Amino acid sequence: MAGIAPGDLVGAPLQMSTSLVPTFPPLDPSALEGVEPGMCVPCKGTKLLCGKERCPLVVRYAAAQQTSLLLEGLELQGSSPTAVFVGRMGYPKVFLGPLVAAQSGDTSLLDTPERWIGRSIDEIVAFRSQLVRGMHRVDALDVEGGGALVQRVRELALARRSADVEVAFHKRPVGRLVFDDEVQPTGPTAPLRGLEVGTLRIDRRVERAHLDTDLGAAPALVGLYRSGLELSALQRMFSVGAFGDGRRRRFVPTRWSITAVDSTVGEHLRERVKQLPAIDQWRIHEIVALDNRWQVVLMPSSWRYELVEAWYPNTAWNPLGREVEIISDHEFYEGRTTYASIGGCYYAARLAVCEHLLSQGRQAGAFILRETHPGYLMPVGVWNVREHVRAALRTQPKTFDRLEGVMEHLGSRLDIPLARWTRTSALLADARYQRRLDDFL
Amino acid sequence: MFDATIKAETLKDVVTVVSTLVDEVKFNISKKGITLKAVDPAHVAMVNLQLHSDAFESLKATECELGIDIDKIKDVLKLAHTDDLVTLHHDEERNRLVVGIGNVTRRMSLVDTTGMSDPQVPNLALPAHVTLAAADLNRGIRASESVSDHIVLVGGTDHFELSSEGDTDSVDLRLEKDQLVEIDCKEPVRSLFSLDYFANMIKSIGAAETVSIHLGTNFPVMIRFSIAGGKGEVTYLLAPRIEND
Repeated sequence: MAGIAPGDLVGAPLQMSTSLVPTFPPLDPSALEGVEPGMCVPCKGTKLLCGKERCPLVVRYAAAQQTSLLLEGLELQGSSPTAVFVGRMGYPKVFLGPLVAAQSGDTSLLDTPERWIGRSIDEIVAFRSQLVRGMHRVDALDVEGGGALVQRVRELALARRSADVEVAFHKRPVGRLVFDDEVQPTGPTAPLRGLEVGTLRIDRRVERAHLDTDLGAAPALVGLYRSGLELSALQRMFSVGAFGDGRRRRFVPTRWSITAVDSTVGEHLRERVKQLPAIDQWRIHEIVALDNRWQVVLMPSSWRYELVEAWYPNTAWNPLGREVEIISDHEFYEGRTTYASIGGCYYAARLAVCEHLLSQGRQAGAFILRETHPGYLMPVGVWNVREHVRAALRTQPKTFDRLEGVMEHLGSRLDIPLARWTRTSALLADARYQRRLDDFL
Repeated sequence: MFDATIKAETLKDVVTVVSTLVDEVKFNISKKGITLKAVDPAHVAMVNLQLHSDAFESLKATECELGIDIDKIKDVLKLAHTDDLVTLHHDEERNRLVVGIGNVTRRMSLVDTTGMSDPQVPNLALPAHVTLAAADLNRGIRASESVSDHIVLVGGTDHFELSSEGDTDSVDLRLEKDQLVEIDCKEPVRSLFSLDYFANMIKSIGAAETVSIHLGTNFPVMIRFSIAGGKGEVTYLLAPRIEND
């Protein structure tokens, strides 16, 4: 590979400050001038509803980063989990590149959110800040072009477990940890000059789907999911344009890729759930994690689904408000035709619910109440929603025969009064107010 | 055995009525015609439809059940002009429905009916009854759609009212006795309904038709109208909402 000869590499250890969780600088009120309370919850830094050029909250999280990467020289010999990142800024001209940790051995944990349940925010931040992101500009619509470097990044994305890599940069990696609502935090970046990859092991089924240019992206994803691949792996592979009709393949920015996979696989599962007999009792599953309280309620009805999020003042997306902000999105039996306003977490949680119902062989309606308390300082990515809903559904549920019992229990587990939740939740309101024909038999 | 010829328009009416509530339905076929009964997935609304033998141009049938995917029928009907005739034939050997429009033949697989039990029909004694022009009702619904997601239906001794209340705005449609075709309401009645469901049901009625509404207080509403020029009947049932506390 151009640029790196064996022996050239300086795999300097990372040095980190003792506290990994950022302490954020005090919020500068002037930076938030013109931002209405409540505006941030539906926006989450993506739509810039406040009209500013950059999200003042995201800038604040970025500024808080305390880890520093001391890499002497421009080369790094290490291991990739195997992770890649595709940016979204400037689409379709986007940055693509590997994420590499300056250590040897198995680093797969660093990019496998499925294994992060029970970890603290400190640990998750630590995982992510070890990863240096190489950046190489590509045309998202031209997956075949881009040359050998791009080809190696794609192979890396398709590989399983971690791989030994050597990377060379044009500049020393700089930058800070970036927090995002959809994507797990990302660390320092540098323009990529070269990439050398050790032996890769690519799953036979992945390779077959990748080489099949007549197989649509959706059936490819669903097939691989059903054969047992982890979602985070599929999301990584999908982002490098590995699947689909040959003429329609493209690079997909990581944050879009995450939701595309959650949504595609979730829809497939949902249609299968609709064929199953309904549960005959109300069930409530609960989990508390990262100062989020989750109540996952399964109702004895046909398929319907809602995610309701309540953000306390001083949580990640409600920095200014004096009141709790509640937003929600829902679908009834027929599903949605528009993108959920609360974003990727809607699809991530829907997938988790459908997985559970299929494993139970049962259909149900589901609504999820998420109460975010002030200990949830910064967004850590949409995996938080998917994995915690999955974890909640692995717990033993409390069962109830009647809605009244459900309401009483929820009231005792959540701080926000039920009346507030009912006002926002379409499914809860429907359950309380809409009668069924069966009531008149 | 099922062998029939029917006007495309008539079949279209049937499809419109049924597809407001379900995607799949079981046709109960006999030499008297077609009947069907279906409840929506949420068990909030029900449809009961009868199409008599004289609604067909020709009908040869013995008793049988066909599981129909409504979207497929909808799909093939897009090929038809208003005056076209559609032939329907049950290919028993391969269990599919053969639909002919002009020179086009579409063979469609049938849905397994073993899981499609007949829904239980609530036995209701609804005290009030009004008959009115579907167009009047439609206008009230259109006015309500921008205001709220539910409506109130009120029957008085001498009037019928449809109203809708939002957070800031409200809508009323009030029809006096002389603007109604018929009213029989001894005591005032009032029930609340989901506008979405109600609107879809009323929209499936032909514009020139009249519709008859049976109503109680906090009870389901029964909506009846005829299709196929009086050679068929539709009955919808819709469960009420209870008023917010």
